[in-house]
Amino acid sequence: KENGAGLGIDEEIKVAKKRAPVPKLDEKRLLSPAGISKLRRVAKERFKFKGKGHEYSDVARLLNVYQLWLDDLYPRAKFGDGLAIIEKLGHTKRMQTMRREWINEGKPRESWESLDSL
Amino acid sequence: FEEPSQNTVDPEVRAYVYSLVSALGGTGADEDGRYVLGDDALACLKDLKKWLKLHDEKANRLDVARCLAEANLVKGDLLEILAAWPETATEDKIKSKIALACLELLVPLTWPIEKNDTQMTVNHHRHVPYLQLAQTSYKRAILEHEAAKVLRTAVRIGLPSIALPMGERGSRDEGIIKLLLYFFRNIAMISPPQNLPNEGKEGEVSRSATIEAFHRQDVLALLLTISSNMGEDFNTQDTVVMEVLFHLLKGVDVEKLFMDKEQLKSKNGDELKSLLAQEAGMHRSYAKNAPTRHNRFGTMIWVKRDDAGRVSTVSGQDVLKDGQHTLSKMDQTKKWNKPRQRVKNEEPAQDRFDMPVALTESANTHLRAFVEEFLDSSFNPLFNHIRRAIEREAERVLDAHQLQFFYLVSWFLEAERVRRGKKKEAEKRKRDKKLEATFEADSFALIATVLNQESFILLNRFMQDRLDLKSWREVQAGMRCFTQILLIVQDMGQSLLEEDQEIAENIQNRIFYEETTHDRIIAILRGYKDQGFGYLNSCTELSHVFLRILERYSRENVDLQVRSRRKARRSKKAAAKQREPTNEDDQDGTSEMEDVAEAERVSRERKFDFTRFSTKFMTQACIDTFVSFAKYYTDLDTEQLKRAHRFFYRVAFKQDLSVMLFRLDIIALFNQMIKGPEGLDSAGPMFRDWDELVRQLVKKMIKKLEQRPELAVELLFSKINSTIHYLEYGYEKQTTSSK
Repeated sequence: KENGAGLGIDEEIKVAKKRAPVPKLDEKRLLSPAGISKLRRVAKERFKFKGKGHEYSDVARLLNVYQLWLDDLYPRAKFGDGLAIIEKLGHTKRMQTMRREWINEGKPRESWESLDSL
Repeated sequence: FEEPSQNTVDPEVRAYVYSLVSALGGTGADEDGRYVLGDDALACLKDLKKWLKLHDEKANRLDVARCLAEANLVKGDLLEILAAWPETATEDKIKSKIALACLELLVPLTWPIEKNDTQMTVNHHRHVPYLQLAQTSYKRAILEHEAAKVLRTAVRIGLPSIALPMGERGSRDEGIIKLLLYFFRNIAMISPPQNLPNEGKEGEVSRSATIEAFHRQDVLALLLTISSNMGEDFNTQDTVVMEVLFHLLKGVDVEKLFMDKEQLKSKNGDELKSLLAQEAGMHRSYAKNAPTRHNRFGTMIWVKRDDAGRVSTVSGQDVLKDGQHTLSKMDQTKKWNKPRQRVKNEEPAQDRFDMPVALTESANTHLRAFVEEFLDSSFNPLFNHIRRAIEREAERVLDAHQLQFFYLVSWFLEAERVRRGKKKEAEKRKRDKKLEATFEADSFALIATVLNQESFILLNRFMQDRLDLKSWREVQAGMRCFTQILLIVQDMGQSLLEEDQEIAENIQNRIFYEETTHDRIIAILRGYKDQGFGYLNSCTELSHVFLRILERYSRENVDLQVRSRRKARRSKKAAAKQREPTNEDDQDGTSEMEDVAEAERVSRERKFDFTRFSTKFMTQACIDTFVSFAKYYTDLDTEQLKRAHRFFYRVAFKQDLSVMLFRLDIIALFNQMIKGPEGLDSAGPMFRDWDELVRQLVKKMIKKLEQRPELAVELLFSKINSTIHYLEYGYEKQTTSSK
């Protein structure tokens, strides 16, 4: 009896419930449909600037678009924190290649053709 | 203090110490309350000293010090004995011996307790807080003794030894002088512990009180005498004198020190006015958005998110007014914060030199007089002497001394610069009335010893060493020193004396000749990461000053050469490798490797190209450093705001690298600086410049965004080097393949 008590065999094993994993703002989330691709779409639709003389209202509108986008993508983080996280993600290899691709898509057509011919 | 608790110290030790203290003497009612020495007072003092030495020091405890603090030895006995030593009795052998014995006890009792020592025991942890408070009270008692000037008495103890020529002094005399100086160092150094409650008024032991006491009791005069005769009559005392100076001057604002009464008053008045205005501005910006009704009024609004009709809710009537506010409130109510690394603050407070100290008016006057006299008579001898000691790695030079040396050099150089500025102003005002002939430019000889090649070598080595060791506070001292040297050399170049101009030219040539210096400045700026605001301020200032002076200098000297150490070309390496087999037999492998490494690094001269150099400042890491500096915008003064402004202006418009600034956090920061909430003071002197900069930058960004929509994504990130050029200009860089 004493041995059993010492080893703790008789005691019932408590199964701790696992915590639900905290959602993370990572590459996967950033590259999901709600991530960059949505941003690219949204940017096309909503970036309408008044231009000269309205710099500050323009920049406020710009920031708002990003804030709402980020809130949809990852509601947990404040705007500034979210930006910092995303900026850090941008240093990974995968993101770098993706970013280069996105830029290349926007380049003038002939440069593509000249690249192909090389 | 609370009543002595019996269990903290071994009762037997306590009994011994207490009996010694009471045998020392006391005030008697039948003697009109005068202090009367005990019969064996001298022996008692010596015994107490032995107790401190043999019990506390040997066994690494603080028991005796604690008992002595509880027994009120300093105030009750030592100071009374010193006070009872009349000026006329200086020659009295026994009395002067007793006075010396008192000083011998005072010094260890006031000695700074280093807290983050690895040797700290439980015993130390028990006693240190009590002893720190006790030391503060010692200092208070010493500075403000009613009947006598204790510091002056201490000087009198040392005078006979000081009066002897250096050759005739025995080791005992040297010891007394050192003891005296350490006493002043301790007094200057003691400051009320920050994490403990302090009883009594803080003003009694403040820096101002110390300076005034030092002035009134001739300690400042003694310091001047010793430091001006350094190398002649004094030799090994240099580092102690420097310590006293360091603890007197650390954190004192040079600009304020050199303002005269009127200016200081108006400056303080202006400061108050601007602070009040700032506060009013803060209230105004709050009132703009403050609720107009009571806090249970219960407003709630929907924010439409997209066309699908999703909404989020925000409550509070303040959000009704404008959409911008609604969004910022949505953000503010989020509860999660990105986990941040805790900044650890381990260094002792005694070495902190970037905590500003306020001085009273009279302390200001006295200290200023002292500083001026010091510059005139003592700067060269003292600092030259210490520099040599450091170079020699003399035994008395401790680690902290180098930091103090460079800090003090920078402090005095700034003082000299400010003094010159004031003089010039005064001359200008006078010249209207008097003849021009009275104007006499004085040379920079007063501070010449820190402007020679040896000093530069020492400074460069120090900065590089400490940078490698990541000893940031010391790097900061080096940076400050280097900044001040650059500034004073610049002033020198504009001197009226031709000789000065020539020297300045020479110095600049030497400073700018080494490419390692250029690279180090960039490395420092790039390497900022949580070193604190003081460090940030120093490194941005150094970069700013260095860039500006170098720019002007390279413009004036188009053919500036720099010595660069670069890896030699492959061919050379190959040649070295070919040569290897011939002498392989008599060399071991390691030295061979070194030889090859040495052969790879060849120094050669090349023409300096400022644009290429300044481009090196435009890397993301440097920009991030300046961004973190700008984040403190509410606390920055005009000069600092200007520094940040010039840098960003250079990035965006001089180097055409505005793309580097197109990052959302930077843009958001700039926007907030101008448009708030809690933005820059719109009446401030730098507001217009910043406003213009931000406006231009935003304009450029919006234009770019319309031309190249892919920037919308890139706004989130630091840019990749290879794509910067395309984003800025819209076409690939033309790389000429001329290799």
